[in-house]
Order: sequence, then C-alpha cells, then structure tokens
Amino acid sequence: MDAEHQETTTLQLVLAWGFVGIPLIFGVVQTLINSMKLFS
Amino acid sequence: MGALSFLDRDHTIAKPGYSRWMVPPAALCVHLCIGQAYAYSVFNLPMTRLIGITDSAPNDWKLTELGWIFSIAIFFLGVSSAIFGRWVEEGGPRKAMFTAACCWAGGFFISAIGTSTHQLWLIYLGYGVLGGIALGIGYISPVSTLIKWFPDRPGMATGMAIMGFGGGAFIASPLSVWLMSQFKTATHVGVTETFIVLGVVYFFFMVVGSIIVRVPAPGWKPAGYVAPTESKGLITRNDVFVYDALKTPQFWLIWWVLCLNVTAGIGVLGQASAMSQEMFPGHITPVAAAGFVGLMSLFNMGGRFAWASTSDYIGRRNTYFVFMVLGFALYCTVPYTGTHGSVVGFVVCFLVIISMYGGGFSTVPAYLRDMFGTRYVGAIHGLLLTAWSMAGIFGPVLVNYIREYNVTHGVPKAQAYNTTMYIMAGLLVIGFICNFFVKAVDARFHMAANDKRGTEPVPANATAPQAARA
Repeated sequence: MDAEHQETTTLQLVLAWGFVGIPLIFGVVQTLINSMKLFS
Repeated sequence: MGALSFLDRDHTIAKPGYSRWMVPPAALCVHLCIGQAYAYSVFNLPMTRLIGITDSAPNDWKLTELGWIFSIAIFFLGVSSAIFGRWVEEGGPRKAMFTAACCWAGGFFISAIGTSTHQLWLIYLGYGVLGGIALGIGYISPVSTLIKWFPDRPGMATGMAIMGFGGGAFIASPLSVWLMSQFKTATHVGVTETFIVLGVVYFFFMVVGSIIVRVPAPGWKPAGYVAPTESKGLITRNDVFVYDALKTPQFWLIWWVLCLNVTAGIGVLGQASAMSQEMFPGHITPVAAAGFVGLMSLFNMGGRFAWASTSDYIGRRNTYFVFMVLGFALYCTVPYTGTHGSVVGFVVCFLVIISMYGGGFSTVPAYLRDMFGTRYVGAIHGLLLTAWSMAGIFGPVLVNYIREYNVTHGVPKAQAYNTTMYIMAGLLVIGFICNFFVKAVDARFHMAANDKRGTEPVPANATAPQAARA
C-alpha cells in the first residue's frame, strides 16, 4: 500500500464505533430501565 | 519536541483514504469520559462517611463542603476553555486530547490521595482544578476538527460529540457505584480505589481518542460537497481572529443567548426530583422522581444530537428561536399542569425543555462557525463557555432562592415553583431578543488571506485531494 495513502477499513470503523458505542448503549439501557420507575 | 512530537498538529493531518467517520468516535472517547462530571454526585454520600464508614463521624466531610468540588470543576471548565482555546486550536486536537487525558486522570489520582489521607483541599485541587481544566480543554478539543471534517453537516457532527458529554454520566454512574461496591469493606468505603480505577480507565479511553483523531488536509472537502463561494445570510465564508470575535456584538449576543438558555435549563435540571414531588405530592414518589430524572438525562443527551442535526436544515438562529418560543410556552404551561394535576403534561413539558437545554450546547459551535468561520471556532467556543459557568451559578440560585422565599412567605409547596417558571420564561424572552439582533459579522473583522496571526494556514478554498473520501 502506498505510504501516503491510508485507507480506513470497515473493521477499523466498526472497532472505533464499538469502542464508544457499546459503553454508551449500556449506559442508556441502564438509565432507561431506571426511568421506567416513573411509570410503575 | 522529541518523543512527544507525535502529538503535534502536523502529525495528525489525515492521509488520503482516511474516513472522516473515524473522527466522531475519537471525539466521543473524550466527551464520554469527561461527561462523568455530571455523575460526580454519586461520590458525595460515600465521601461523607470516609471515617465513620456506616454513618458520618464528627470529623467526616459535610455535603456542603463536598458541593464545592463540582462547582470548582465547572468554574475551571469555563476558565480553561477560555484561556487555552487558542492553544487548543493551534496545537491541534491530539495534543489537546492527550493533555486533557493527563489532567483528567491526574485529577482522579490526586483526589484518591485526598480521600486516602482525608485532605479535602487535595480533592478541590485534583478533581476541581485539574479536572476542571481537563473538562475545558477536552470539551472544546474536537469541536473545530469535527466542523472541518463535516462542512456539510457541522451541527450533526458537533451534536454527536457533545451528546457524548451528556451520555458520559450514564456510564460513569453505574460504573462508579459498582466499583465502590467491589472495593467496599467493613473498614473502607472504596472511594479511593474507585478513583484510581476510573483514572486509569479514562486515561486509556481518552488516549485512544487522541490516537485515532486526524485533522483534514488543507483544502480537503467531502466527496461531492461544493463549498459556497460567498457568504450567504448569516453563514460567512470568512474567518474572524479569536480575540477580534470578542469585539463583535454578535459574540456577546450569542453569549447571552447561550447563558439564558442554559440558566433556564440548569436550574430545573438540578431540582427536578424535588420539584416533581412537591408539585405532585402523593402522585410522584421518590422512586418515580428518580425515574423522571433519568428520563430527563436521556432527553438532555438525545436533544444534543437531534436539535444540532435539525439546525443543519433550519439554520442556527431559527433553532434558537424555537428554543426561546417553545421554551417560553412550556415554562408558562408548567404551573397549569401543577394546578390541574396533570403529571403527564408536567413530564412532557420538562422533557422538551431539557432537550432544548442540551440542544443549546450542541448547536452553538455550528452557530459560531456560521458567524466567525472555521479557523478559530474552537477557541471562540472556548471563550463562549464562560456563559455556561455563569449560568451554572444563576440557574440553581434562581430556582432555590425563589422557592425558599415563597415557602417562607406562606406559598404552598405545590405552587412554590410557579414564580420561578415565569421568571425562566422571561429569561427566554430576553434570549429571543438577543438572538433577534444577531446579524452577519461586519467585514472589518474578517481575517485577510495574508494574516500572519496564528500558526495554522488560512484554509483557502483549495482543491481537495482526490483520494480523500468521506
């Protein structure tokens, strides 16, 4: 591969988004579960 | 210099083929970590029992003393973003993110020493001062980079990052509680170890963000994007030097727009639990109120992305007009929901209000970019965040003191917040007027193409590298 050309792969994108997305989704789900107490 | 030269802006320029969709996760790495600040209160009660363990001992810290930690941190957020804004802009995002990581983790480590030796001043210094500096630098570090990568959708791009700041508490709160439960013993509340673990984890996360972030090559633009050749309405094609922005009425009008919008939101955000229970006694229990606060946090986060993305289509000024008009109507409606016992109406009003509170934060970087250009937008954004620090004082004071005044003068608790709601609505009227007077920046403030101030070259409308892809 050309040293001046660094193509971002799909795997890199999945890893980067997963790195931040998984903890965020975990936190949102936890908060959503707690929020349901408003309706109970 | 030397070993740290990889942090320099020059080393972060993207090579052709780098996907701009790597930048939002890099920004989220930082914002999700520093968003922990919103969850700091989970440490308050355990820190009042560091000596007594099960109950507060006479020598234990008081909640009033601990409350200063968050206040100092928010104060230094505003101060550091204003002071270091230009350095962040010119040094590049990687250097800023790495610095923020060191300060943020260092703040936790110093605080851990503070809790283990029971010296509160170390926590003021660690989390308050050092952590506050990390908040300021970290908050603004990815903003201008995102705007440059997404000239076609600047609102959406910055909305994604600033959404992360709202979402950071969702991760930090359960994580901190779980860590403290793991480290807790009969003679120990586990705060010190939790601080150390959080410091290590956050440092790792933020450094990953600093490694994957890139700035676009000069003249880069997304495939298929045709940059406007001349200014249109409020959207300029010129740049304004960071300190020249302070001389424009537009900066101060937007400063007040942000300050008033945040003041209106932050006051009720902090008091939502107590307010809901006092306005609807017997209908909203403490458990339900906690659920309500959680739901508000979700709308705070979601509003950051949704409103900033919407602003790409309807314009920034119009978005703030919506905040002011809709906010005014909703604040005026809240007292009626109380007198009519409409819990649903109350909840809906505050969820929309809090979404606009978050939207105010996330839309303002793109607003500044429209007014002052992209070159110093991060630094100008840093200066504008002093409005947040100011609102952080105004908002809670307004809500708390007016409620206290009403209660001590015989107003029933269920109606004690009505005056506050009308005052908040009044603040939004002032915000509407400020926003109304925002016009395009006078041409005398525009930087010339040969302007030598700063180190970054003026991004001319050059031809984009062909291989760069969006």
